[in-house]
Amino acid sequence: MSDTLEKLTEETAFLDLHKNFVEENKPNSALSAIHESALSRFEVLGFPHSKHEMYTYVNTKKLAATAFAVSSPSEKIDLIDKHIYSGCENSCLVFVNGVLDQTLSRLQAIESSVKISSLEEKDDVDTLLVSLENENDVFACLANAFCADVTVVEIPDKGQVAVPIQVLFVSTGDTSRPEMHSPRLLWKVGKLAEVKVIEKFVGMQEGYFTNMVQDWKVAEGAGVILTQVQSDPFGAWNFQKTRVHIKRNARFHSANASSGSVLVHNHFEVRLEEEGAEVILNGVSVLKGKEQVHNFIRIHHEAPQCISHQHFKNVINDEGRSSFDGTVIVNQGAQLTNANQLINNLMLSDDCHADNKPNLMIFADDVKCAHGATIGQIDEEQLFYLQTRGLSKKFAKELLTRSFAESIVQTIQFPEVVKELNNTLLKKLEVENV
Amino acid sequence: MLEIKDLHAGVDGSEIIKGISLSVNKGEIHAIMGPNGSGKSTLAKILSGHPAYETTAGKVTFDAKDLLEMDAEERSIAGVFMGFQYPVEVPGVNNAEFLRMAHNARRVSAGEEEIDPLDFDELLSEKMKTLGMEKKYKERNLNDGFSGGEKKKNEILQMAILEPKLAILDETDSGLDIDALRIVSEGVNKLRNNNNALILITHYQRLLDYIKPDFVHVLSKGKIIKSGDKSLALELESQGYDWITPVN
Ligand SMILES: Nc1ncnc2c1ncn2[C@@H]1O[C@H](COP(=O)(O)OP(=O)(O)OP(=O)(O)O)[C@@H](O)[C@H]1O
Ligand SMILES: [Mg+2]
Repeated sequence: MSDTLEKLTEETAFLDLHKNFVEENKPNSALSAIHESALSRFEVLGFPHSKHEMYTYVNTKKLAATAFAVSSPSEKIDLIDKHIYSGCENSCLVFVNGVLDQTLSRLQAIESSVKISSLEEKDDVDTLLVSLENENDVFACLANAFCADVTVVEIPDKGQVAVPIQVLFVSTGDTSRPEMHSPRLLWKVGKLAEVKVIEKFVGMQEGYFTNMVQDWKVAEGAGVILTQVQSDPFGAWNFQKTRVHIKRNARFHSANASSGSVLVHNHFEVRLEEEGAEVILNGVSVLKGKEQVHNFIRIHHEAPQCISHQHFKNVINDEGRSSFDGTVIVNQGAQLTNANQLINNLMLSDDCHADNKPNLMIFADDVKCAHGATIGQIDEEQLFYLQTRGLSKKFAKELLTRSFAESIVQTIQFPEVVKELNNTLLKKLEVENV
Repeated sequence: MLEIKDLHAGVDGSEIIKGISLSVNKGEIHAIMGPNGSGKSTLAKILSGHPAYETTAGKVTFDAKDLLEMDAEERSIAGVFMGFQYPVEVPGVNNAEFLRMAHNARRVSAGEEEIDPLDFDELLSEKMKTLGMEKKYKERNLNDGFSGGEKKKNEILQMAILEPKLAILDETDSGLDIDALRIVSEGVNKLRNNNNALILITHYQRLLDYIKPDFVHVLSKGKIIKSGDKSLALELESQGYDWITPVN
């Protein structure tokens, strides 16, 4: 009884918050339609209870019970330069507290090849409304209800974006009054177009909830390379829902590097809609203290001859926690599907925790699918072998954990990002002197 | 150099090495033969510091130092090298980089500076050439996906880079084809001098045709039951172990 009451008040708090949000932001009719649809979906779904299908391994109680504020858009910040990768100085979109900041964004290098606009086209609105009807992630609904705008990034047919586009999500953070930030993007990649994108999440200090939702429409023959770097401070929540639609012979390759925080939740929903579509999702996390990273993945093979590869690795120390809940659904008729899914966890302490639920649902008969999950400690024989060659135990351990995580980091196509991860994410593996 | 005195050791309370004494001096080559499961590899692993084995009695000194008190890495730095019967695959660790790290670990502990990477590359190329190893093994990850013979060659490459005082080669010949056996043996012979020593664990006389032992020992059920010169290996080859192994 008290449970239901409490739940109701939690959801009510967000509904009330939304009223304030609408009063302050005065959204246009296109946006209002999205908000309303999202809000009613939110009410239907409600916050996850303990046995929720999507949040089985993720405790969102504290998050749902937090009294958030929504962002005051006037916040002025500088010092973002250090978060912009070299090569992206003139091709970066900067979101401050969930809202695209026109003055901090610099687009000179991509002005001619990329169209960036606010949501207005009816087709785009309809696209988002349709996806909302089927949205079963309550936090994604929340993000849709609270987005101050939808940023539409369009690469025209045959467009070749010469430089990588960086999207920087920066939050100012405030522990006394945590804010909820809901950046919302729609990517439209035209036929035979090619684009590379780096998304990076940072915060100036703790105390915020970044709840990002993006849709990717990848047209026939197009290619997307997406790299995500999550490096929020510990006391920040980071949720994302990335929904991808891939058409004939198009490719979507992504790699996610998560440093973890009090709660990081990555939700990927990928639909391989036409023949020859291909998706690669890779992920790596290195967790210490009480950091958490959770991945929830659904890949739908809806057409024949599509390819999906997933490889996720977690290195977990102290009381860190990770989970992987991934299902590949091969529809009837999706013959000659090639799907595989691999999760490897390296556990470095007695108190760390990893949950894995790799899953295949196959309704076609001529397919090549494989999946597996491993949970292991440092291999004692490998350790001994390295020691017999004169490497100290400490160094050998570090070498083994580092090489474990490195194999995913090395799939990242941007040397600048790899260099950074070597000095941040992989640095976390250095064993402190005892 | 190496002095083993009445060594008893085992794992989880069951004794595998049941009283072995052996002394190896500078410049000597000892061959250890014996049936499967007699404890040859266990002895090699104990000498190189494998944490799984427990010594229950006896003593081992190396250059007058208590070997059993030292960690595996300390033994390596002190000059003990084991060529593994089953070299371990370490995916994700580049072979050439690993070899350089191992080489540097030794240099640094000897108070020397780390080797210049280009100089090391040259040294490595030269050593690989003498072992008939193609350049691509630099790029590969440590033993990852190597064939049995390639792994054994890579062990000898490590030995050539580390130049140990005492090398214990556990069935390095198994898995090598006849040409590779000759090349590897020649490589090992080149590394020999009056200041180092070699323990060869093998089942086959043919290795001992290339690397001629001064002593041959037969290990059976955790004990050395017979020692002799290289003619003993010939006798074993033709007659097997039955004539010397005690019944029960
Ligand atoms: N870690 C271990 N745990 C349990 N038993 C072990 C372990 N290591 C060795 N043994 C046992 O000790 C005995 C000796 O093994 P060892 O590998 O030393 O034999 P070996 O002489 O090298 O044989 P081979 O000629 O087949 O290589 C075997 O019975 C083996 O099963
Ligand atoms: Mg053996």
